[in-house]
Amino acid sequence: MSYSGLSLLSNALTGNTRWPSIIDVSDLQKSYDIVIIGGGGHGLATAYYLAQNHGIKNIAVIESGWIGGGNTARNTTIVRSDYLLNSSFALKNFALGLWDQLSQDLNFNLMYEPRGYVDLAHSDGELEHFTLRANAMRLGGADAQILTGDALQARVPELDLSGAQRFPIAGALVQEAGGVVRHDAVAWGFARAASKAGIHIFQNCPATGIIIQNGKLEAIDTPQGRIRCGQALLSVAGASCEVAGLAGLDLPLNSINVQAFVTEPVKPALDAVVNYNAGLSYISQTDKGEFVLGGATDGYSSFARRGSFERIEDVLARAAQMFPFLPRLRLMRHWSGTADITMDGNAIMGPTPINGLMINGGWGYAGFKATPAVGHQMADLLATGQVPDLMCPFSYDRFEIGTEQDDGGIGPYPWLH
Amino acid sequence: MLLIPCPHCGPRDEGEFTYGGPKSRLPALDLTADTQDWHRALHVGRNARGPLTEIWYHSSGCETWIEVTRDTATHQILNKAKGGST
Amino acid sequence: MSRLSDGGMIDRETTLNFTFDGQPMVGHPGDTIASALLANGQHLVARSIKYHRPRGIMSAGLEEPSALVTVKDETGSTPNLKVTEVSLRDGLEVSSQNNWPSLTHDRGATLALGGKSLSSGFYYKTFKWPRKAWQTTYAPIIRKAAGHGEVDATPDTALYDKRRKACDVLVIGSGATGLSAAITAAQSGATTIVLEQDSILGGTLLSSDATIAEQTATHWAEDAADALVSLSNVTVMTSTLAFGQYDHGLVQAVEQQTAGSAARSILWKIRAQKIILAAGAIERPIVFPGNDRPGIMLAGALQTYVRRFAVVPGKRAVVAVAEPNARADTIRALEHAGVEIAACLNAGDQILSTQGRLRVSGLTWRNTQGHRQKVTCDLVAMSAGWMPTAHLFAQMGQPLEFDAYTQSLLPPQTDGPLRPVGGARGVLNLRDCIADGKIAAHQVLAELQMHKHLSLTPPASTARPPQGFGSGKGKAFVDFQNDVTRDDIALAQREGYTDIELTKRYTTLGMGTDQGKTSWTNGILEIAALTGEDPAKIGHTTYRPAYSPVSLGTLIGTEVGEQMLPTRRTPFHGGFEKLGCVYQTSGDWLYSRYFPKAGETMEQAITRECHAVRRGLGCVDMSTLGKIDVKGPDALEFLSRLYCNNFAKIKVGRLRYALMLREDGYVFDDGTIARLSDTHFMVTATTANAGSVWRHMRKSAQLDWPELDVVLTSVSDHWASLAIAGPHARNLLTALNPDFDVSRPGFPFASVRAGHLGGLPVRVFSVSFSGELSYEINVPAGFADTLLSRVIAGGEQWDITPYGLETLDVLRIEKGHLSIGTEVDGRRTPADLGLGGMVSHTKDFVGRALLQRKALQKDNRAQLVGLESKDGATPIPIAAHLSTTPLGNGGPMQTCGYLTAAIHSPTLDHPIALAFLEDGQNRTGEVLWAHSPIAGKSVQVRVTAPCAYDPKGERLNA
Repeated sequence: MSYSGLSLLSNALTGNTRWPSIIDVSDLQKSYDIVIIGGGGHGLATAYYLAQNHGIKNIAVIESGWIGGGNTARNTTIVRSDYLLNSSFALKNFALGLWDQLSQDLNFNLMYEPRGYVDLAHSDGELEHFTLRANAMRLGGADAQILTGDALQARVPELDLSGAQRFPIAGALVQEAGGVVRHDAVAWGFARAASKAGIHIFQNCPATGIIIQNGKLEAIDTPQGRIRCGQALLSVAGASCEVAGLAGLDLPLNSINVQAFVTEPVKPALDAVVNYNAGLSYISQTDKGEFVLGGATDGYSSFARRGSFERIEDVLARAAQMFPFLPRLRLMRHWSGTADITMDGNAIMGPTPINGLMINGGWGYAGFKATPAVGHQMADLLATGQVPDLMCPFSYDRFEIGTEQDDGGIGPYPWLH
Repeated sequence: MLLIPCPHCGPRDEGEFTYGGPKSRLPALDLTADTQDWHRALHVGRNARGPLTEIWYHSSGCETWIEVTRDTATHQILNKAKGGST
Repeated sequence: MSRLSDGGMIDRETTLNFTFDGQPMVGHPGDTIASALLANGQHLVARSIKYHRPRGIMSAGLEEPSALVTVKDETGSTPNLKVTEVSLRDGLEVSSQNNWPSLTHDRGATLALGGKSLSSGFYYKTFKWPRKAWQTTYAPIIRKAAGHGEVDATPDTALYDKRRKACDVLVIGSGATGLSAAITAAQSGATTIVLEQDSILGGTLLSSDATIAEQTATHWAEDAADALVSLSNVTVMTSTLAFGQYDHGLVQAVEQQTAGSAARSILWKIRAQKIILAAGAIERPIVFPGNDRPGIMLAGALQTYVRRFAVVPGKRAVVAVAEPNARADTIRALEHAGVEIAACLNAGDQILSTQGRLRVSGLTWRNTQGHRQKVTCDLVAMSAGWMPTAHLFAQMGQPLEFDAYTQSLLPPQTDGPLRPVGGARGVLNLRDCIADGKIAAHQVLAELQMHKHLSLTPPASTARPPQGFGSGKGKAFVDFQNDVTRDDIALAQREGYTDIELTKRYTTLGMGTDQGKTSWTNGILEIAALTGEDPAKIGHTTYRPAYSPVSLGTLIGTEVGEQMLPTRRTPFHGGFEKLGCVYQTSGDWLYSRYFPKAGETMEQAITRECHAVRRGLGCVDMSTLGKIDVKGPDALEFLSRLYCNNFAKIKVGRLRYALMLREDGYVFDDGTIARLSDTHFMVTATTANAGSVWRHMRKSAQLDWPELDVVLTSVSDHWASLAIAGPHARNLLTALNPDFDVSRPGFPFASVRAGHLGGLPVRVFSVSFSGELSYEINVPAGFADTLLSRVIAGGEQWDITPYGLETLDVLRIEKGHLSIGTEVDGRRTPADLGLGGMVSHTKDFVGRALLQRKALQKDNRAQLVGLESKDGATPIPIAAHLSTTPLGNGGPMQTCGYLTAAIHSPTLDHPIALAFLEDGQNRTGEVLWAHSPIAGKSVQVRVTAPCAYDPKGERLNA
């Protein structure tokens, strides 16, 4: 059933009893062309684009918990493409283009709202560096502006530019196409469209084994049985090391806790998405009215999905530097996700040393914004066997050969990325 | 906030420490180690879910590096930490 | 007034005035806003978020889902406060939220007519057409309709604080269980802290008419509280909400301070060996059509309002309480308040509907014989049972287990530091609670070896009511705050959002500011009833702190404004300030930026300062550099492993520029290594990396190479460092009266001397960042002022000019010297930076192996080059990108590098720049485009060597 204002009204008349399930219940087959391990945004997007762009539908998506229940459900929903390194920029900017039309493509309102992403600089030197990034974006075909003084104040009226702060604000890089997308809806929208195309989606179905013979992928084991398959994609965010371990792969990354939190919902008081750079603190207001905030990782290895409260206090102190009314609000809920952070802080995408097994992981806390681009590119890879250009820089072997994609220039210390 | 047992100062809040990552054994600096040796020492095999030995620097304390074995799934600290010399 | 003439815990002698939606009302000390509103006969206090249905006060505690208000006091207004959580103060202005034009006539209520098309998740299904309409039209409307109150947009100027405590036993909650546990713990000598969210100790004892040991419950609580307070090992904290449990026995709590205190509230971080969670239980509403009207309240809350606050809550009540003892208790309380019992429903009765517009006026039900019955009433007391307040337990990740016996989620046995007791683990009977608290305390004391082990059997959790009530069809609310009905939950199941987490996210069940305290168990039971699934298999969503919302101001504490982080100032700060320095924040530091003379712009000042250094004499503060003393027989070997260049033959009294790589072969930091004696070196690190280089060295010495005999001392703060630079630098050094030879042959470039300048103990380094003859004079920090004033006085004859960060940067750009964070950006090899020749091929060092990786040795990598504008005059825009082609029409274009710095060189009087350019070292002379779309400029530039001024370095030896 197509979703529209009309279908809402007609279903209301029948007491909303005729809405179909977004995912058809299927029986697990003994074999599929492709098994996608991980029913998050990335995995489901890959499934959708395989059907949509390549007509490949004999696919199983297996998810250990509930769809979108990993980092798709735990991020701060920000989308943007303001990167200096062309590899990072190109993929995320491609994603921005897809976000813009995805609600129509999927017939599911993902609530992409380009409210503008405002990245604050705290010195003239930092602003010069931001200008370098803005120029890279402009030359790459994206929008970007550098705003200072009154122009910045007009763009974000709530921002405190008085200078009476520990790190006064010197200006900002503004990307108007940046903004927010309703994170849960991304998983649901892709799942619904993939299921409609005939792709099988299984929840509560973890991969428990990866069967390899002579260096070639044979099958994936699950509690519901063995699935033979020609190819598989490992797309499991914070569980990458564990699942890759089933195939004997040792990934160059650390799993680190990342936190986010929301205030009580209030009437609209901030339109833009704003990022504070003297110590990380990013903030936006959800459609429901909550301020949602996040910062850097907790900075040590953890799978506990539980963090150190100091990070929250730190993010808040910086947020209050931007918006001095914030202390009046109240913390409602804080949560955590496990971010797999590689040695250069960038993702690993593409073939692995095991023939037929592809990987998409190591997205750290930057994966949400890339979701449709990852799905699109991964579908290309799985369908054609060729590594698409946008994916090339993120190869599995780059740490051995020295083609790191280190946006921050931080080095092989994942806890600092 | 973790409570980290410093062998010199006693149990202290995590905020007093700087994280140094999982403990790794670096190859000897005698011109024998190759790229692969360092790749293995630096990049992989450092992400255990479960007990993991890591190093923390007690920056707001005794200014020494200490070893802590911690379960990364539960945050339970498993050792009475021992510090290095110097 | 709807207040009993006596009884209750309010101070009738004192009257507090407040307003609700502008209407004057009165209350007394001891009241909450909720009890005061009810005492003024005000049941209608809010409109619901989605359907704008009239809502009243349902509970008497933090679980309140509906009655949210904005409260204004002398410090400004705070939205979304639950009327049940705020103690009444004189002068409060209380306002309802989310209605227009008024609470009684709310136009938003017409939305309720569209009810069924506003079912769960309706916004995912529509608003997609036309394509941009969501962002431009619909989202703004939805956003305005959402949210509860409005935030006061003025800065919050209140003060907050953070403090720490530690104890053996922390008891959370001070009802019968908590008091009993605390007394037991305290009497054995354990340091004990009791946290109570309410303003007084006692919990539900304060609204009970039971007797304990021949005392009223209230008196028993008072006596127990007195006993606790008198013990020196006990700290009792009221108005203190424990909102979260964290790792290793940490509980965080917020203490509300009384009005007029210096701080509005305090964040407490309490480390406890053992935590006894005696937070009680929350009453469960009944799900039936129209269960949300004002006047429909939880039965326990009604007892509280009558007994503790002496409120007469209505005239005619229907009692729908499942558990027989609780039913009798409720009826006693209502009769005490003179409320007529219109009807008392029996278990198994099916509630069909309620009537009333702004307050409940009647209730219709079908009894077990199948007869439809209806009564008029203005009050309904409802209770489906009790749910343990085990949130702080579950926050640590261990799931609660649905218990069929009690029909609630109970905490399982655990060996963690926190023990749920009493109501928090399903024990409801008063005497059982007292026993449970005592037994739990004994247990943790035994574990702490503070008491011998006693074999005591804890009481069993209390049975559920024999049977609940049925419900008719209609709008039956499960989550009152988010307007989630039984039908919404059914829709989520139908549409495949079956996992409890998906149901939550799709319907927003339990996602409100009440965190689903009253709705979660009902939600699970509703799903079970709909699907026939065992509630135990449904599980629950993750419990997240905060248990109840806490103010962000409290979490920020004193780290506001310029005090957010400490600011570091160098020892020369005061002295330079007198010289007219303009400072700039740079990381931890306040750094001298430039020294304008009257009427000068920054650019003019920089040009003047540059000329002074190039032509005469300048001085600059270099104190922020990291300085590390390295001593010991193996000091040279130690440094040789850390830095990539070879300096094995460095002589005492000489120094070398040195490059440190990361383990992965990229350049990390640069600095100088000065040899003070055979076994004593002083090493500098850049300001940005001072801390990390120090930690890295400590790690290397302590963990990686413990066999090396070396001692490290950070002396960054010990030495103040002032550089004098310019052609007259040696003249000034001589004038400062050194007790060592400072002649050109006696003190050549790249040397260090320890001695005295006019009696001041110094180390002087002949190094140069500016490219001019230069000496870095280090003095013990306490002598900074003396040194600076002598330098300024002594340099007067050469017109000594203090300069700052800006001029330092211009001078180094002219010289093509590297800046950390700019050229050294963590992605460069020594060869990229033109320093490939420094890398030793004869020794091993950190970074050697991985520097050999294929891609790092590629010869067409981006390399550092200089640029000048092609015509020698057109300014080169900062932050431009390089291309072989002119700017296209806005589409993506190919670039081959970018600028790291661009200036108009004051010395050369023409524009120059530094850039990274692919294969740049082989492209000298090539003309490229420098594009800056941000500046709207594209300029042709010619590739040069990075060093634009004095490439042979002759001036260093002037």
